[in-house]
Amino acid sequence: MPQSFWRRFIRNRPAAVGLAFLVFVVVVSLGAPLFFAGDPFGIVGKPFLPPFGAYLFGTDSLGRDIAAGIAHGGRTSLMVGLVATIVAVSVGTLLGAFAGFYRGWIDDVLMRFTEFFQTIPTFLFAIVLVAIMSPSRASIVLAIAVISWPPIARLVRGQFMATREREFVQAAICLGMTDAAIIFRQILPNVLSPIIVAGSLMVATAILIEAALAFLGLGDPNAMSWGFMIGAGRSFLRDAWWLCAIPGIAILLTVLSINLVGEGVNDALNPRLRTL
Amino acid sequence: MSASTILNRSLFTALLAAALCAAPQFALAQKRGGTLVQITQPEPPTLASYLSTSGPIGQVTAKIYDGLFEYGFDTKPLPSLAESWTVAPDGKTVTFKLRSGVKFHDGKPFSSADVQFTIMEVLKKVHPRGSNTFKEVTTVETPDPQTAIFRLANPAPYMLAALSGYESPMLPKHIFGNGDIRSHEFANKPVGTGPFKFVEWRRGELVRLDRNPDYWRPGQPYLDRIVVRFIPDSATRTALLEKGDAHVAGFGAVPYNDVKRLAALPSIEVTTKGYEMISPVVEITINTKKPPFDNVKVRQAVSYAVNRKFAIDNVWFGNGRLATGAISSNFKASGLYSADVRNYSVPNAIEMANKLLDEAGFPRKADGTRFEIIHDITPYGEEWQRFGESVQQQLVQVGIKATLRYEDVPTWLKRTYTDYDYFMTSNFLYNLADPVLGVHRSFHSALIKQGTVFVNGSRWSSPQADDLMNKASLEPDAAKRGTLYAELQKITVEAAPIVWVHELLFPTILNKRYKDVIVSPIGIYGAYNRAWLDR
Repeated sequence: MPQSFWRRFIRNRPAAVGLAFLVFVVVVSLGAPLFFAGDPFGIVGKPFLPPFGAYLFGTDSLGRDIAAGIAHGGRTSLMVGLVATIVAVSVGTLLGAFAGFYRGWIDDVLMRFTEFFQTIPTFLFAIVLVAIMSPSRASIVLAIAVISWPPIARLVRGQFMATREREFVQAAICLGMTDAAIIFRQILPNVLSPIIVAGSLMVATAILIEAALAFLGLGDPNAMSWGFMIGAGRSFLRDAWWLCAIPGIAILLTVLSINLVGEGVNDALNPRLRTL
Repeated sequence: MSASTILNRSLFTALLAAALCAAPQFALAQKRGGTLVQITQPEPPTLASYLSTSGPIGQVTAKIYDGLFEYGFDTKPLPSLAESWTVAPDGKTVTFKLRSGVKFHDGKPFSSADVQFTIMEVLKKVHPRGSNTFKEVTTVETPDPQTAIFRLANPAPYMLAALSGYESPMLPKHIFGNGDIRSHEFANKPVGTGPFKFVEWRRGELVRLDRNPDYWRPGQPYLDRIVVRFIPDSATRTALLEKGDAHVAGFGAVPYNDVKRLAALPSIEVTTKGYEMISPVVEITINTKKPPFDNVKVRQAVSYAVNRKFAIDNVWFGNGRLATGAISSNFKASGLYSADVRNYSVPNAIEMANKLLDEAGFPRKADGTRFEIIHDITPYGEEWQRFGESVQQQLVQVGIKATLRYEDVPTWLKRTYTDYDYFMTSNFLYNLADPVLGVHRSFHSALIKQGTVFVNGSRWSSPQADDLMNKASLEPDAAKRGTLYAELQKITVEAAPIVWVHELLFPTILNKRYKDVIVSPIGIYGAYNRAWLDR
C-alpha cells in the first residue's frame, strides 16, 4: 500500500516538482543559521543595494541582507504554518469526531460552537486576536489555529457520520469495544486521507495568513518572516522592487508547491483515481 | 518686552504694508477665488480644538477660530484679534486691546467677554495644555468690550507664545457659554471669527469650509473654499497630490520616500518651514527607575550607542536634524537653545558606550552580551518599527540584547505612563512654542503624573533641574532665561533620561499654483487667510 502510494504520487509530475521544491525550501530554512550565520536583522551594508551584486538578493531599506532574511524568514513561515495546522487539525478532528460519532445533543452543542467561529470573518478575527494578545510567534500560531479548525471539524464530522453506519463499526460496537477505541482505532484511520489532504492545504493558507499579518505590522517584531519583508518593503515598490518581489516570489513558490503536494496526495489516496 | 516698541513696530509694519499694497504690481498679485484641497491624516476625532490637542484637529479648526495673536517665522507675536498688548514691568499684568468690529460667523460681535470666557472657563479648565499655559492667570478683567486684562499670580512670559488660533482658539461665549463644554452640540459645528466658515463634515470623507465674507481683514481671505480631505491610504494621498487634485499636505501625510519623487515634479514645492513653533522631536525615553537604567552610566552608554545619523538618513530619509538635547535648535532665534552639552554623536561612540558599561559593572558574558532588555516601539507606523530595529542592532554592538515589542497605542501609553512597565521606548514629543509648554513636561518632578500621557515617563528629576525650570518659567528676560536653559540642557543631557535623537523635519507638500499658504511658524495650523490661487 505505501509503495503503491509513492509510485502514484511520484508519477504525478507537478506533485513531484512541488515536493522537490518544498524539500529545497525546508533545507534552506533549517540550514539558515549555517548558510547565513548571525541575526537576519543585522545591518550588513549600504541600504538598497540591488540583487546579484555584493549580496545575492541585495539589501533592504536599512541595509539588511535580503537573502539572509529569505532563509531565516522561511523558518518562521514554515514553523508557523506547520504548528498552526497541527493545532487546528487536532482540535478540528477531535471535535468533529465526537460530534459525528455521538450525534444528538453533543453534535448540536459542538456544531453550534463551531458555527460561532465560522460566522466571524476569519482574517479580521485573526487580526483582533493578535492585536489583543500582542504580536509574538505564539499568539500568531494560536490566532491562525483558532480561525482554521472549524472547516476541519465539519469535514471530520461528515466523514464520521458516514463511516459510523458501516458494518465494521457496527461489528466493533457489538464486540463491546469502548467508544474511544472505536473512534480512534476503527473510524479515524479510515477517514484519515481527506484530513491529510485538507491539512496539507491548510499549511499553505496558514503561511499566507502569517504573511498577511506580518504585512500589516502584526508579525512578531523579533522574528524575520517573508510577510514582514514585504510589509517593510512595500513603501519602496517604485524605488526598490526587489524588497517586495523576492519574498513575494518565495511565498508564491512555497504555497504553490504545498498545494501541488496536497493535490498529489489527494490523487494518490483517492481510490477512484487508482488506475493501476 | 515693552509695549511701545511693539506698538511702534506693528504701526510701522502696517504702514509698510499699506505702502506696498499701493504699488501696482502688488495690487495685482493676490487673486480672488479658487478652492484649496488640503489632505489631513488621520481624520480628526472631533473639531473641538479647545478640548483635545490631537494633531489633525488644528489643521481644520485654525481656519475657523482666530487667536489673540499670530506669529512670525521668528516666533515673535503679531497682532490678530488683539491689536496691541502691554506687559506690566512686574510681568503680572497683561493688557490686550482687542480689535473692534470683529464678528463671529453667526453675526454676533466679538468682545472681551468672549476672551474672558474662553480663557477662564474653557482653556484653563478643559484644554490639555491650557491648564499649564494659563496656570498663573487668576482673573481676566473686562473694563470695556475692547480691553481684556489678564491678572497673573506670577509672570508667565511663555503664555504669549501660546495664543494662536490653533493653540488657544477664541470661542463665542453666547454659544459655548450655554451647556456642557465637554460635550457641546457645537463642538463639531465650530463658530469662530476666522477667515473660513464651517459648512459640513462628511465623516470619513471631508470637511468643507467656505469663505467668510465678513472677515475682519478687508479683502481677505482670497480663497472661496477649503476642502480638507481624509484619505487613509498613503499611496492615494501621494497620487492626489501628484495629479494636482489635492494641494497641500503636511505632518507625514506623505511617506518620506515618496516626498523626494513629488519634490522632483515641476508642479510641487516641498518645504520644511512651518513647524518652528511645533518642533517635533524623535527620542527614546528611558525608565530611570528600572535597573539597569537607574545607573546613569548605562543610560549614557545607550545614548552613545544610538546612531542618530543612521536614523535620519535611513529611517527618515534625511528629514531630520541631529538633536543635541532637550531643547530644539528652533529655539536658537529666541536664545534658549544651547549646544554646549555632552556630545553623544562622536566617531568613537561605540567604544565610549562599551567603556561606560564596563565601568557600570556589566561586563560581557561568554556569549558577548552584558544584559537583556525589551525595547518598546512607538506604535505610530512603519518608520518607528524600522527605527526600533536599527536601535536593536546598535545595542548589539555594545552588548545589550534588546527584544522588540510593538503594541497598540492605548496599551503602549498605559505601559509607559501608567504602569511604568518598560525599559526604554521610542517616543515622539513636540517642544511647542516655548520650553515651559513642551520641554518641562519631560523631566520636571511635578510632571511625574501617573496616568497622564506625554509627561515625565522616565521619572528622572533633580532638585537642581526643577529649580532651573521654575526660575525659567518666571523669568521675563530672554537672555537670563537662555542662561538658565543652557544649564538645564547641560545637566539633562548628562543625566540622559532621554536619548534625543533628531528634530523631525516634516515635509509639507504644496502645489505651486497656491501661494502664501505656509506663512507662519505653525504652518498648516495657520488660518490660510492670505493663501491665494494663481490662475
